[in-house]
Amino acid sequence: MSPPLADTPTPVPGRAGGSTTAPLAEVPEPRRRRWVQWLVGAQVLFVLGVAAAGYATAALGRTITLRTRPVDPRDLLYGDYVTLRYQVSELPGHLWRGSVLPRRHQPAYVLLEPQPDGTYTAVAAFPEKPSTTGSQAVLRGSVQDVWRRGIRLRYGLERYYVPEGQGRALERRQSLRVEVSVAPWGQARITKVEPATE
Amino acid sequence: MSRKLLETDGREWVQKGIISEAQREQLLDLYPTDATAIGLLPLLGSLLVGLSALSVVAANWQGLPEVVRLALLLGSLCGAYAGGEYFRRRGNLNLGMGLIALGLILFGASIVLTSQLYQLIGYDLTGLLAWAVAGMALTWLYRSRLLFLMTAVISGIVQGYNTGQLGAFSYLTAIGTALGLGYYWWRRPNALLGGVLATGLLWQAALLINHLHVKITWFFIPAMLVYAFGDWQPDRPAGRALQGPPLVAAFLFTLGLALFGESDLYAGQLRAPLLPYLASLAGVLALSVFGKRQRGRLGSLTDWLLLLPGFYFTGGLPLAIATLVVLYAYSGAVLLRAHQEQNQDRVTLGTVLFIITTAVAYFKLTWGFLDKSLFFLLGGLLLLGLSWWLRRRAAHTFSSSTPSKP
Repeated sequence: MSPPLADTPTPVPGRAGGSTTAPLAEVPEPRRRRWVQWLVGAQVLFVLGVAAAGYATAALGRTITLRTRPVDPRDLLYGDYVTLRYQVSELPGHLWRGSVLPRRHQPAYVLLEPQPDGTYTAVAAFPEKPSTTGSQAVLRGSVQDVWRRGIRLRYGLERYYVPEGQGRALERRQSLRVEVSVAPWGQARITKVEPATE
Repeated sequence: MSRKLLETDGREWVQKGIISEAQREQLLDLYPTDATAIGLLPLLGSLLVGLSALSVVAANWQGLPEVVRLALLLGSLCGAYAGGEYFRRRGNLNLGMGLIALGLILFGASIVLTSQLYQLIGYDLTGLLAWAVAGMALTWLYRSRLLFLMTAVISGIVQGYNTGQLGAFSYLTAIGTALGLGYYWWRRPNALLGGVLATGLLWQAALLINHLHVKITWFFIPAMLVYAFGDWQPDRPAGRALQGPPLVAAFLFTLGLALFGESDLYAGQLRAPLLPYLASLAGVLALSVFGKRQRGRLGSLTDWLLLLPGFYFTGGLPLAIATLVVLYAYSGAVLLRAHQEQNQDRVTLGTVLFIITTAVAYFKLTWGFLDKSLFFLLGGLLLLGLSWWLRRRAAHTFSSSTPSKP
């Protein structure tokens, strides 16, 4: 292996293509301190922004109620949460209004209409945001699975962190009513979960 | 020379009259005591403090009003950064960096807990991405290896969360990690950082392959890109460290192919579309070869043996045997180069690879058509022959190089 190496003129490391790698100098102290201040400020603002988005979604959003069943309550370091599976999480294929078949990870806009019992149910699913009339609402989700007879969607509302003391009220294998706030800009969050009274 | 040697043997040297006491002290002054390499203790310390604070607050978290929770999070975040700056300025670098690392952890915790407070979990990609971006910015500002390691890990966590929980792959995170940390490592080459960076990037590449549901062999395109990047690095040890994880992956893959490649069901799972795959692989190979040529390391071209796409042949047992031959050629090449470089560690590595390959060959072939005792005999002879040849070669090069020098 070495003879061919010895024949070729040995290139000087670092000579090639202007890639001289001078060691990276430290950032000057005053400049660094200024940038760190900006960076920490940006982090604080970001966290406040998350809080503001959550608050605004509940304050300005429109409340709709969905039917669900809890799947699996479990413990975490942060407290209990339940995994929710909604009735609108799985839709029959004939509700899809796109010109081509849905693909995985594609966004889907689900058009909802209220039922007599006050909960909302899906009437159609679109690849683009549809226009709504009166009592209709739109939830944005993403396609998780497609099979011959239907599609499975994910809304980002599948996990609910149960507030202290409410955990016992939500039992396994029980239908729930979930109040969801949908902001005008499309963001949605759960505002209330209660057992469905039938 | 290390300070330790001076401390233990120095007095003896003075007694023997080799150096004077004053000279011994002068020598000691040359090697200051605090040569802590990476500051593992502040890392662990900040981690533990962060975890304990997290669990104490988490236990009472639900009982606190929302404003108090937010204030608590942001207060500790700012406190950690301010404390870090304070201790850095006082010259206590390790403690300072530990606190700044804690600040970064608290930023991630703040994002998660605030989203949870408003039930926003599982909605957004940007939330955790901001965490990785903050880590990257801090790494560049402080030029800190600790923050580099944390950013590599955080990016991996963010990507894992994206693909696992949100069902989406964040290309921005992957490209950002590769460019941001890659360029940092390029300018400040370091073996440890190279290994961790390569592992982090391979992890994200694996998540991408899994996410896209494509043939797993595509994994080796990004993996070997990382490898080729290592070829261009002028700092040889750092480059080798970056190339370690891709090579480990390729070796394990080839080992798996030798073990299970016999069944076409398995090999069929590996066949990516022939032309695009081979074209991409050839492109990466060209990059790698060019890099090796520029840096005068063409000898390491044998690494690419592991990337031979034998799985395109519907060979059955011959495929398994051909793969074994490739494995033998690779480990033999590692041994050969190690002897040329007089590198004891790499000799050990090559021997281990050789033995692993032999073990696989044993399981594979003795079941098939070779008598067990005959196989052991052949394997033993092969190793003995190789060692004899290597020794002869070493002696030959040594004896021929000494007298030829005038």
